[in-house]
Amino acid sequence: MLGPNVAWYLAIAAVLFGIGALGVLVRRNTLVVLLSLELMLNAGNLALISLARHWHNGAGQIFALAVMAVAASEVCVGLGLVVALNRRELSLDVDTLSELRG
Amino acid sequence: MTGGSWLCLLAPLGGTIVITLCGTRIPRIAAAWIATTSVFVAFGGAIWAFLGVHSQHAPNSVGLAYAPSVYHQGEITTAWTWLQAGHFSVGLQLLVDPLSTMMMLIVSGVGGLIVLYSIGYMDGDDEERRYFAYIAFFVFSMLLLVEGGNLLMLLVGWGLVGLSSYLLIGFWHERPTAVAAAKKAFVMNAFGDATMALAFFILIAHTDSLSFGVLNAHLSSTQANLVALGLLGGAVAKSAQIPLQTWLPDAMEGPTPVSALIHAATMVTAGVYLIARTHAIFEQARTIELIAAGTGALTLLVAGLIALVQTDIKRVIAYSTMSQIGYMFLGVGVGGYANGMFHLMTHAFFKALLFMTAGLAIHALAGEQDIRNMRGLGRLMPFTKWCFLAGALALVGIPPFAGFFSKDPIIASTLNIGWYGYVFYACGLVGAFLTGLYTFRLWFLVFPGEPSPFVREHYHDHHGSEGAWTMLLPVGILAVLATIGGWIQFPPHWDPITRWLAPVAPSLPDAVASSTQETVTSIVSVLVGLTGIAVAWAIYSERKIAIPAAPSLRRLLEEKFYFDRLYDRIFYAPAVATANFLRREFEEPVVLQTGPDLGEATIETGGLVRRIQTGLLRTYVFFLAAGAAAVVLAFLIAK
Repeated sequence: MLGPNVAWYLAIAAVLFGIGALGVLVRRNTLVVLLSLELMLNAGNLALISLARHWHNGAGQIFALAVMAVAASEVCVGLGLVVALNRRELSLDVDTLSELRG
Repeated sequence: MTGGSWLCLLAPLGGTIVITLCGTRIPRIAAAWIATTSVFVAFGGAIWAFLGVHSQHAPNSVGLAYAPSVYHQGEITTAWTWLQAGHFSVGLQLLVDPLSTMMMLIVSGVGGLIVLYSIGYMDGDDEERRYFAYIAFFVFSMLLLVEGGNLLMLLVGWGLVGLSSYLLIGFWHERPTAVAAAKKAFVMNAFGDATMALAFFILIAHTDSLSFGVLNAHLSSTQANLVALGLLGGAVAKSAQIPLQTWLPDAMEGPTPVSALIHAATMVTAGVYLIARTHAIFEQARTIELIAAGTGALTLLVAGLIALVQTDIKRVIAYSTMSQIGYMFLGVGVGGYANGMFHLMTHAFFKALLFMTAGLAIHALAGEQDIRNMRGLGRLMPFTKWCFLAGALALVGIPPFAGFFSKDPIIASTLNIGWYGYVFYACGLVGAFLTGLYTFRLWFLVFPGEPSPFVREHYHDHHGSEGAWTMLLPVGILAVLATIGGWIQFPPHWDPITRWLAPVAPSLPDAVASSTQETVTSIVSVLVGLTGIAVAWAIYSERKIAIPAAPSLRRLLEEKFYFDRLYDRIFYAPAVATANFLRREFEEPVVLQTGPDLGEATIETGGLVRRIQTGLLRTYVFFLAAGAAAVVLAFLIAK
């Protein structure tokens, strides 16, 4: 089955990862930061899967499944935090949440 | 025979364990009787072993004229193998032979009498049970020392007697002087233990064994000299000979029965036993053996001189003990092992007797020990007086008392060994004069005459007698032994002890004096002893001769030839100075300052590093991303 070259998939993954990283860095809303994180994870997944196909090695696909599981649990915790913050009527701006500074 | 030796060894140990485990559940007097009984059981075991050895002489001997070397050579009994490493193996062994049975009889016999005496002496002390546990433990240790079937067992006993001596000197632990004396005795003895251990290491390295037989093995002359020197170091420390003698007078801080048992009759004579037991190695290293004899000769003079100016009744007797052990060292050093062992035996009788009569006096005067306060005590304590006189005459060597028979052969035996023999001979005779002088100085100051006011004021009797019967009985028995105990042997006419010891420790031919030499020496030394007594009488009783002023000499003697001060300067003061220097220059600035310095440095570093902990999520992410980018970049460049 022919398709686009693996380089294209990797390029898309890199672009997605860049968008996600930029989102984490520049956005201040906690929810958007979480979304950007998901984007980075899925960019990683895309790279794993495309290379697994390229090398005919199933390990990458299995690893992608594991990443999904981790991502799901991370979202659970992250969204839980967001809900908790909201309930206490605290700001969702990450820059104001800096109680852990040294 | 071997059963007797095990019984002898283990009975006092059993006594100790029972007293310790029972604690306060038994009355004090029960503890005392347990200890006494256990030591007398040990004496029974010793007799059993003695009869066993005795019955094994050849049947063809007629009457008492045994030919030498027909006695049993001894038998080793092994309980189990105790230590094993490669070819080296040591068992828990006991040796039953003429020498060890003789020592067993002395230790358990005299020991039993002294423990019996302690019942009266220690009555009313706060910690009697502890005392009796210790003293039974001492008897066990001493028996282990003399019965040990190899050098390692001997060393174990050697160390344990040092320990029990330490415990008993410091028995009255609320007295700082007693604690200091105990510590001093232990440290000086530990020095001797160390040199002995070094000698054993040499033996193990060259022969792979520590059995007594290995001492006959051929060693190079250097090795033999080193081994003999190490053993001599142990003997000198344990027997309080110069230069390791200073602990013995201080050890008089212990209870008087302890002084009688440990620091007169048994433990301090262990050095003499050691030399007789290991005579094979000393004969390979004859120089060292003669050094032992010289040490003895020097000690008997120095101790005799110091005894002249002491004012504490126990210290006079303690210096006398050092002096008499000097005679024993002289005896075994020139090769007359039987002479040394015979004097060890008679000395155990009369010196224990002297200490115990002194104890009766001290007890009756409520702890007073200064002889200047004791004048005229004989009027109030006639029994003590006569027993003391028997001991004193035995000590000076006036016939027919015990010391006469045992001391003169030692002096006579020095005549045939070479020119230094004459020096030893002269030392022995001067020592005999000093013995007469200091012994009867004590006698004339304490017993005859009208009781002094101090004595009248402080004397208190024990229900009408001079002491409890437990104290008087052993004193009486020992007075009899001090009188007749020497009749066992009268060389050269009558020598059962020499023959008894011949299979184990035959005296060297050089050390056997001829009949004429014996006779002349006996006459001269008795005359010299009598002169000493006469001088003491003239000075201290009749006051016809003034005590020589000679303040510098007097000071020299009162300062004990400055040995204590010398050791203080050489060892104690530099050690303290070094310790103080290290404390000031090293411990306080380096060791003590390191902890706080480390803590402060950590806090400072933490203060610097905490600034990058901003709490801002996006900063962290930035550094994370930048780090990851840097790693990727590095990999790309490296490729």
